[in-house]
Amino acid sequence: MGGGSAGWLSAAVIAAEHRVESQSLPPIEVLLVESPDVPTIGVGEGTWPSMRETLRRIGLSETDFIRECSASFKQGTFFRNWQTGNGDTYCHPFTIPLGYAETNLAPHWLALTDAPSFADAVTPQTALFAGCLAPKQITTPEYAFVVNYGYHLDAGKFAELLRRHCTGQLGVKHIKANVSRVNAAENGDIRSVTTDRAGEIAGDLFIDCTGTSSLLLGEHFGIPFQSRQSHLLNDTALAAQVPYAAADQAIQSCTHSTAQTAGWIWDIGLPARRGIGHVYSSAHISEDAATAQLLAYIREVAGEKAAGSVVPRKIRFQPGHRRDFWHRNCVAIGMSAGFIEPLEASALVMIELAAGMIAEQLPPTRDVMDVVARRFNRKFSRHWNQIIEFLKLHYVLSARNDSPYWQDNRAAASIPEELSERLSLWSYRSPWHQDAGAVDDLFPTASYQYILYGMGFKTVPQQTFSMRQQQRQASELFRRNAERAAQLQRAMPGNRELLDKVREFGFQKL
Amino acid sequence: MSQYQILNREKHRRLRVRTGSGAALGDAVMYVMTYPMEFRDIQGSYPILFTKDPNTGGFLPVALLGLEAGQNLFLQGERWDATYVPALVQRQPFLIAKSGGSDDRPPVVSLDLDHPRVSEDEGEALFDGEGEPSQFLNSKIALLEKLHRGLQHGGGFIDTLLQHQLLVQVVLDLAFADGSKKTLQGFYCIAEERLHELKGDVLESLNRAGYLQPIFMAVASLSRVRDLIERRNRLRA
Repeated sequence: MGGGSAGWLSAAVIAAEHRVESQSLPPIEVLLVESPDVPTIGVGEGTWPSMRETLRRIGLSETDFIRECSASFKQGTFFRNWQTGNGDTYCHPFTIPLGYAETNLAPHWLALTDAPSFADAVTPQTALFAGCLAPKQITTPEYAFVVNYGYHLDAGKFAELLRRHCTGQLGVKHIKANVSRVNAAENGDIRSVTTDRAGEIAGDLFIDCTGTSSLLLGEHFGIPFQSRQSHLLNDTALAAQVPYAAADQAIQSCTHSTAQTAGWIWDIGLPARRGIGHVYSSAHISEDAATAQLLAYIREVAGEKAAGSVVPRKIRFQPGHRRDFWHRNCVAIGMSAGFIEPLEASALVMIELAAGMIAEQLPPTRDVMDVVARRFNRKFSRHWNQIIEFLKLHYVLSARNDSPYWQDNRAAASIPEELSERLSLWSYRSPWHQDAGAVDDLFPTASYQYILYGMGFKTVPQQTFSMRQQQRQASELFRRNAERAAQLQRAMPGNRELLDKVREFGFQKL
Repeated sequence: MSQYQILNREKHRRLRVRTGSGAALGDAVMYVMTYPMEFRDIQGSYPILFTKDPNTGGFLPVALLGLEAGQNLFLQGERWDATYVPALVQRQPFLIAKSGGSDDRPPVVSLDLDHPRVSEDEGEALFDGEGEPSQFLNSKIALLEKLHRGLQHGGGFIDTLLQHQLLVQVVLDLAFADGSKKTLQGFYCIAEERLHELKGDVLESLNRAGYLQPIFMAVASLSRVRDLIERRNRLRA
């Protein structure tokens, strides 16, 4: 129930997993009921690398996806002004450090006196950012990479492409109607929904993709919403679409995130425009002042004319999530399950993960549904907690003192206990494999390294035998990384050049 | 690098073209493009592989001449040691191309003024004393026309291979007599397993399009890789 990225992506993943090649087996039936009157919020213009596998899994060609969603390549995030506010920068790339499985380069990097930035020292990927270079070449097969990447995309066009793919290729039935009533079965499940123009629609499993209104899980079942604003203060976004200064202007290789006095500004490069927005805490800055900061940024990066023509759209949100996500025969995906600010772009990946788990674990009988539901709830509670912790890490490491916002963000009471514990440990030991909570952790331990050492966190490592043993190996990895970085800078095309070629020739499938 | 100009009787009247073979004439290349109608001649001497055009990512059939960049194992000084020289080598320094714009205009002959074969004082004249095309030029034009027909016919060949998933990546692990080893990457060949699974109607459509024979020619040509290894062994011996 509900369209948008959440509804259509879920429908696609589930329908693709259960499609049958011959008609001999009865396929499961996926129906998507969408209100023709409710506009969708285009949430999430940034994806994780996982989106490549998701798209491949639902049978979309990467060429079609890039052409039809105005997509570009995203290789990570570039942070500015987060540490001191005086022009400091660092990167969180999608590629884990070189040799990460066997060697933890962090303590070796910390011991260097004249080292490049942490990310530059341990991955060749960030060498591509300054030149706006692409993560692959036109000869690289679709969904394959030279360096790991996800996408920036136009969320509205993405939902539209998924809709066409779902209804045209995957046998999803699209019903445009408003749900007027939710009908309970005797056991308390949802039996059906009554619509204004498509009658009564019965189902075995109802997926609530109705956005923040959470019509089924929240409204019908009354599963409470849990605010997490005590940890993450941002609750308002001003989003704008900004034209490029020139049609051939370079397209950035990563999301740019620039800290402000009471929030931060995102800047995402699509082929035909940029998506720029300010996400902030309404308790710490007025809308007028937030708008002024946004326009000042746009003026700086895109010129006076662009700043004069934009009309920012205001989106208010309550950071948090439902207490449970799967209740009886109803599961919420997307904003109906929860929403946290767009830092690190976790909205779409949470949809992919939820839809993926439902598709794989689709309960064949009602009896086992409760088992799947419990497992789902445990897993996604863990994911939300990790998102909150990981995002919080970006704020607590800041040394900015120019506004109460940054001070409030560092207040001890606002820091999740688990994160405080980890930080005290990380003063003596760099995060590595032992810091992983589970195999399906949302953020790998390497991501913590990129944020910690990008933000200037000091670990005073304990010299151990194995560390001394690996000294030579570490120097060799640093050397190989620098060599690979130089090689990639020579070999990789610009993002715009490659996207133009994808438009003209497309990627090969092999 | 290259400077192509449409061949012009007045402008290029004094130009000559060096014939023969040699690294100095631009022949030291690892592979050269070919096309299905040429496969019969190619497979007698060279392995036929497929590689991607670095500019478009599209697949091209190529005759493999060497085992590393810039190496042509068939070049022995000024001699090309094979019974057949690929048409895309023979055509140098000429090119046949659509004269921009509409598709129905006849293709035009161009030449690369920066090609080492182009000279003002050495080689075969392009035009005779009266400004008429020389016999040499006429023979090259005939070759280019043949090439043009071949490339047009071959246009649908790759699409057909991809449609039936008949291309597969191949990594050539080569071991030489001196004990050294080399891995050749970036090439594709006919997927023989898929080929043997093809049903009658598909085989018939391939045959009608004139693609079935070249497919088997390409498969057979892979035995020529052994000859390249032998040539490389003799080089170092």
